[in-house]
Amino acid sequence: QLVCALHNLTRHVVYRGFTAPEDILSLFPENFHQNLKNLLTKIILENISAWRNEAQASQISLPRLVDMDWRVDIKTSSDSIARMAVPTCLLQLKIQEDAALCGNNPVVSALTVELSKETLDTMLEGLGRIRDQLSAVANK
Amino acid sequence: VSSQQFSALTEVLFRFLTEPKEVERFLSQLSDFATMNKISLGPLKNIVKSILLVPNGALKRNLSSEQVRADFIALGLSEEKASYFAEQWKMNSPTLTRLAVGQTLMINQLIDMEWKFGVTAGSSELEKVGSIFLQLKLVIKKGSQLENVYVELTLPQFYSFLHEMERVKTSLESFS
Repeated sequence: QLVCALHNLTRHVVYRGFTAPEDILSLFPENFHQNLKNLLTKIILENISAWRNEAQASQISLPRLVDMDWRVDIKTSSDSIARMAVPTCLLQLKIQEDAALCGNNPVVSALTVELSKETLDTMLEGLGRIRDQLSAVANK
Repeated sequence: VSSQQFSALTEVLFRFLTEPKEVERFLSQLSDFATMNKISLGPLKNIVKSILLVPNGALKRNLSSEQVRADFIALGLSEEKASYFAEQWKMNSPTLTRLAVGQTLMINQLIDMEWKFGVTAGSSELEKVGSIFLQLKLVIKKGSQLENVYVELTLPQFYSFLHEMERVKTSLESFS
């Protein structure tokens, strides 16, 4: 019962995002032991940012990008043409499925995608537009 | 086959080669040619088939127009007609080469990319959040099917992704 109550208290504090000790102190009932109240508040405050980060990291989301690698190849021949020198890009994305669904065993899958130069140029154009929109939002 | 008829036929052939999807048009142009010149369609089709083998083989082996001309002469075509065909070949080869390269195998080719970004306002754990997320939808061609892949990135991840892609572009450009 004690552990449950403690758990509820910490969850409530994390949920509301309290940062000031007064907010937490006000949660305790009137006749609560003073020193214990202060000690608990101190401990909670110390841990609160770590708990918030963890909650944020494990919230539901679309699959998340974990890592990314690339390599550039030159295609020199194929069954339709004997000699050529076409550069192409291979991009490998490591994607982790929704953390909330996997619990403690996150599933990471690797997706390898091939991009021609034209596709890459178009993609960079799109990414540039995202960057511009992001800075417009940040500057507001 | 007179040289005039031959050049008309060559034109039809090359138009088909440069637009291989226009099969119907090619077939109708062939039958028009047959009726205009009073040749029966069956043997004409056979001749056309064997003629088409030459440019396809030439493309595979990157033959020069000289070699194409020599090939045709070896097949028994008159010098004049062989030279005409070789000329046409030279003119059309950039288009034909580009088509062949386009048909080359690509693994999980990226076709399209869509995105949206926004702010996470709150969640069941945290009442007020305010963190920015970016969601990408990548359309990938797996074999003959299209597959959608959804990925979420944080802002720092986005910036490093952009940086890496710019490095890839520099690398690709140095090789072209």
